[in-house]
Amino acid sequence: MPLDRSQDADRIDVRGLNKTFQLAGTAIEAVRGVSFNVRRGEFVALLGPSGSGKSTVLNMIATLIRPTSGQILIDGTPIVPGKATPDVGYVFQRDTLFPWRTVADNIGYGLQLAGVGDAERKERVAACVTQAGLKGFEDGYPSALSGGMRQRAALMRTLVVEPKLLLMDEPFGALDTHTKIDMHEVLLRIWEREQQTVLFVTHDLGEALTLADRIILFSARPGQIKDMYEVDFPRPRDAVKVRETPRYAELFQHIWHSLGEEFVKGRER
Amino acid sequence: MSRRSLSTLAWQALICIVVLSVWQWGYQFHARLPWLVPDLLDPYFISRPSEIFEQFLKLSCLTSKLGAFNGWSNGEFAKCMARTENNLWVATGVTLQNTFFGFITGVTSGFAAGLILGRSDRLSAIFQPFITAVNSIPRIALAPIIVLAFGIGDTSKVVTSWIVVVFLVFFNTFEGARSIDEGFVNAARLLGASEWQITRTVVIPSTMAWVFASLSPAISFALIGVIVGEFIGAEKGIGRLIIESEARGEASGMMVAVTVLMLVGVVLSSGIRRLQAYLLRWRQQSRSE
Repeated sequence: MPLDRSQDADRIDVRGLNKTFQLAGTAIEAVRGVSFNVRRGEFVALLGPSGSGKSTVLNMIATLIRPTSGQILIDGTPIVPGKATPDVGYVFQRDTLFPWRTVADNIGYGLQLAGVGDAERKERVAACVTQAGLKGFEDGYPSALSGGMRQRAALMRTLVVEPKLLLMDEPFGALDTHTKIDMHEVLLRIWEREQQTVLFVTHDLGEALTLADRIILFSARPGQIKDMYEVDFPRPRDAVKVRETPRYAELFQHIWHSLGEEFVKGRER
Repeated sequence: MSRRSLSTLAWQALICIVVLSVWQWGYQFHARLPWLVPDLLDPYFISRPSEIFEQFLKLSCLTSKLGAFNGWSNGEFAKCMARTENNLWVATGVTLQNTFFGFITGVTSGFAAGLILGRSDRLSAIFQPFITAVNSIPRIALAPIIVLAFGIGDTSKVVTSWIVVVFLVFFNTFEGARSIDEGFVNAARLLGASEWQITRTVVIPSTMAWVFASLSPAISFALIGVIVGEFIGAEKGIGRLIIESEARGEASGMMVAVTVLMLVGVVLSSGIRRLQAYLLRWRQQSRSE
């Protein structure tokens, strides 16, 4: 079958993905038979309790973990484990800002790798600094920033190279509720403008509903897809106001029970 | 200056005065108070501050053997400098120079080796037993062999210095390269960094903190290496000065050399500390939320 690289191709195509870890001699099945697609420009949340394999799936797509079996296509091309896929950005759960680089140099890192000239780099970094509300901190080191600022800087380090696909692994998991919702606003505005494809891992149902077009619900270990939900709130969304609509409450309740069952199963292990 | 630091300064001055006074005059009471004044205070062993100062002036060609000041304009100073091959200036210069080269070669080669082995599981597995074995040798024990092999010139001092520095820096770099946060490596890789770019922009900077931590002891070790090399065989240097003075039974000469070494050590390590503080400035800031 010829590879399909046309505009209509799904951005991400995951087929029959399995992952078994060897841990101290015991095989742990983390992911079982996961298949799904993500359309171009779609914002998809992978939701599930911890240990449900959602991060493992994301990391396999990001080439950080080698699948035991199964296939992952990005824009119709199989990915190569260990080799970064072009135009794919990744935001870590824990910000991995380089402590020895200033905030501006962290944000400009990807551009520097790509050999973008000084003048252009400065300009693009300055735009990102403004967008992330980090003005006045760009020449400081990450150790001088608060958690929310660090995560914004980390987000900008990924976004400055304008990836067409954004993989995010619980990027706001460590933030307090207010900072988290601020970050949702930041991310929504960016996404509305750039229309990247986003795959976002979270265990926070509210976060998934606020951000995503579609939620893929994972079961407790071994991680399998339990259900999928379309989130049909109109865009552009307001990260605070969307939570006050009746439709939000309805969907929240609907998914909550299904998610809750998996949390209980995860705990019983 | 605050009251506290003034009082600290006063205490420090007092300690200096007491120590120097006991050193200078303490032995006079040896006959009368033998239970209080130990034999070790005998100026034959440790000289006394006034004699050390006189000896300092002589060894540095500032005064003649008889104690008269050598004039600058009448050329006495220059004559003395030419006559005494291992005067204090030459000795200090030679020792510093060899220390510097030993330090530089030790740090660079230790760093390179530590980085390569630290990032390669295969190489570190192969070399591990050899490194452990060589590391178990007290490096100073090799000094006579080095002097035998490289002669009594500067080379043997640089090599002795190198061999004590290189392992120290190697082990620190190795540990640093082993303990790199894989999150940084992954972040760089996913932003499109090649292996070489990862080495240059992630591995080296994050190992640096470890390397810098080893620089302070490394400069002291470098100086120790040179001095021991000079003890064993040398024509010039502060270590040589100590050996010469010992042969003549001149405690004052040895004390001059030791004092100069102390000053050199203080200057070198405070220089290194300033360099460290500057290069690791990203670690200093921290913010409480």
